[in-house]
Amino acid sequence: MEAYNPKVVCFSCNFGWGYLNNEETLGATILNWIPVACSGKIDTHHILKAFKAGADGVLILGCPEGHCHFQDGNYQTRKKVCLIQKVLGAFGIEPERLDMEMAIDPEGKKIPQLIARMKNDLAKLGPVKRI
Amino acid sequence: MAEKPKIAIYGLGACAGCDQAIIDLNEVMLQVADAVDIVLWPLAMDFKYSRIQAMQDGEIALSILSGSVRNADHQKMAELLRKKSKIVLAMGACACFGGVSGLANFCGKEDIFNWVYRNAPTVINPTGCFPQPETDLNGYKLTLPEFFEHVFTLDQVIDVDYYLPGCPPPPELIGNAIVATLAGDLPPKGSALAPRKALCDTCPRNLRKPNRMEIRSFRRIHEVEADPDECFLAAGIICLGPATRSGCGETCIRINVPCRGCFGPVPGVMESAPKFLSTLSSLLVVERDDEIKEAIDSIDDPVGYLYRFSQPSSILGQKIAKKGLEN
Repeated sequence: MEAYNPKVVCFSCNFGWGYLNNEETLGATILNWIPVACSGKIDTHHILKAFKAGADGVLILGCPEGHCHFQDGNYQTRKKVCLIQKVLGAFGIEPERLDMEMAIDPEGKKIPQLIARMKNDLAKLGPVKRI
Repeated sequence: MAEKPKIAIYGLGACAGCDQAIIDLNEVMLQVADAVDIVLWPLAMDFKYSRIQAMQDGEIALSILSGSVRNADHQKMAELLRKKSKIVLAMGACACFGGVSGLANFCGKEDIFNWVYRNAPTVINPTGCFPQPETDLNGYKLTLPEFFEHVFTLDQVIDVDYYLPGCPPPPELIGNAIVATLAGDLPPKGSALAPRKALCDTCPRNLRKPNRMEIRSFRRIHEVEADPDECFLAAGIICLGPATRSGCGETCIRINVPCRGCFGPVPGVMESAPKFLSTLSSLLVVERDDEIKEAIDSIDDPVGYLYRFSQPSSILGQKIAKKGLEN
C-alpha cells in the first residue's frame, strides 16, 4: 500500500513571509503555496474550496499581531479561522486541519518547515473521512 | 380556440408548503386556472401519472417542482417531468438549495434508519424490521422507492431552467413567475425569478443600523427582548440578512424574527454561508484568542444556523448525482 502523503495548501501574506526571496524560486520548491497580498484577503470560500478540492490541511501564514500592512487583516483572518474551525467538524473535517501561524519570515525559509510540521500532524489524523 | 398552455405542479421531497403558497394566490389562482390547463397537481386534484407518460416530449409549458430529491421516486418524477416540459421551475428552498431536509446530509443513511426505526425512544421494533426496497409477501412483490445516501437539490439531478427560492416563496413572486413564463418574458436561463438585492438593502431596520457594528457576544432571539426597530446583528443576534437574497417581503423581520436565509445567496455568490461567516467574523470585536473562542462558543449550533437551507448545495456538502442514481 502506498504511504499516505497529506496534501497541504498554504496561503501566506506577502508582507510577512518570503518577500525577500524570489516568489518563483520559492514557489518551485513549495507545493500548493499561494502567496496573497494580505492574510485578510483569504475568504472563507477559498479555504472551503481547498478542502473540497482534496486538501488534507490548510495552513495560513499571517503577520504577527499589530504588524498588518493593512491595519488588521491578520486579526480579521484569525477570527475567521476560529469560526471556520467550528463549522468544519460537522462536515467530517477535524478542526486541526485548518491552522494559522502569525509570525514574520522575510526569507520564507520557515514556510517548508511549517508545512512539513503540519503534514506530520496530519499523518496521525489520516485522510479526510467524508467529502 | 387555441389550446391552453399546460402546467404541472409537483412536490418531490417537500412538505407541501410550496403548494400551499400557490393556493395562497387566492383570486389570482382563478385567473391562472382560466388561462392554463393544469395537467398535474397531486395536492389539489386527481391525476394519473400514466397520462403524463403518454404525453409528447415538451408538451407541458411549465413544470413547477418543489422539494429536494431524496429517493428513487423523486428522481423518477423529476426526470419524467423534465422530459415532458419546456420549462422547469425549481420552486422553494428545497428544490433550489436542498432546504431544511438537506440537514439530514450531516448524518448518514444508516444513522437515520437506526434512529428512526430502532433507537428513538418512541420506537418499539423487537424484530429489527427495516423498510426494504423489495419485500415478498404471500407471493406478491411489494416495492418501496430506494432511499438515497444523500439529499440532492433538483439541479443536481435534472436540468433546471429557473429558480424561485424561499421557504415558501411569497405568492406575489409565484404569480409573477407564472405570468412571465406564459408571456415568454424571461431572464437568461438559470436565473432566479426574484430581486437581485441583499435583504439588508430592503430591510426596514437598516435605517437604524449603527455606523459601526460591533458584536462582543452572541445571543439567541428567544433569550432577549429584541427591539422591533433595531438591527438584529447590532444586538448580537445572528441574522443572515447581509448574505441572503431579498424578495421575501421581510416577513420574518417584521414579526421580530431574524433572517434564516431561505432565499439563498445573491446573484454572483456561489454560497451564502461562507460569505456570512466572513461577515460575522469581521463584526466580532474581541481581542485575545481566548476571548475569540469564548465568543464563538456562545453561538449555539452555528452549522445548523448557517446551513439551514443550503447543505446539499454548499461547497463542502454538495454531491453531483452520478452512477448510483441512474436506473
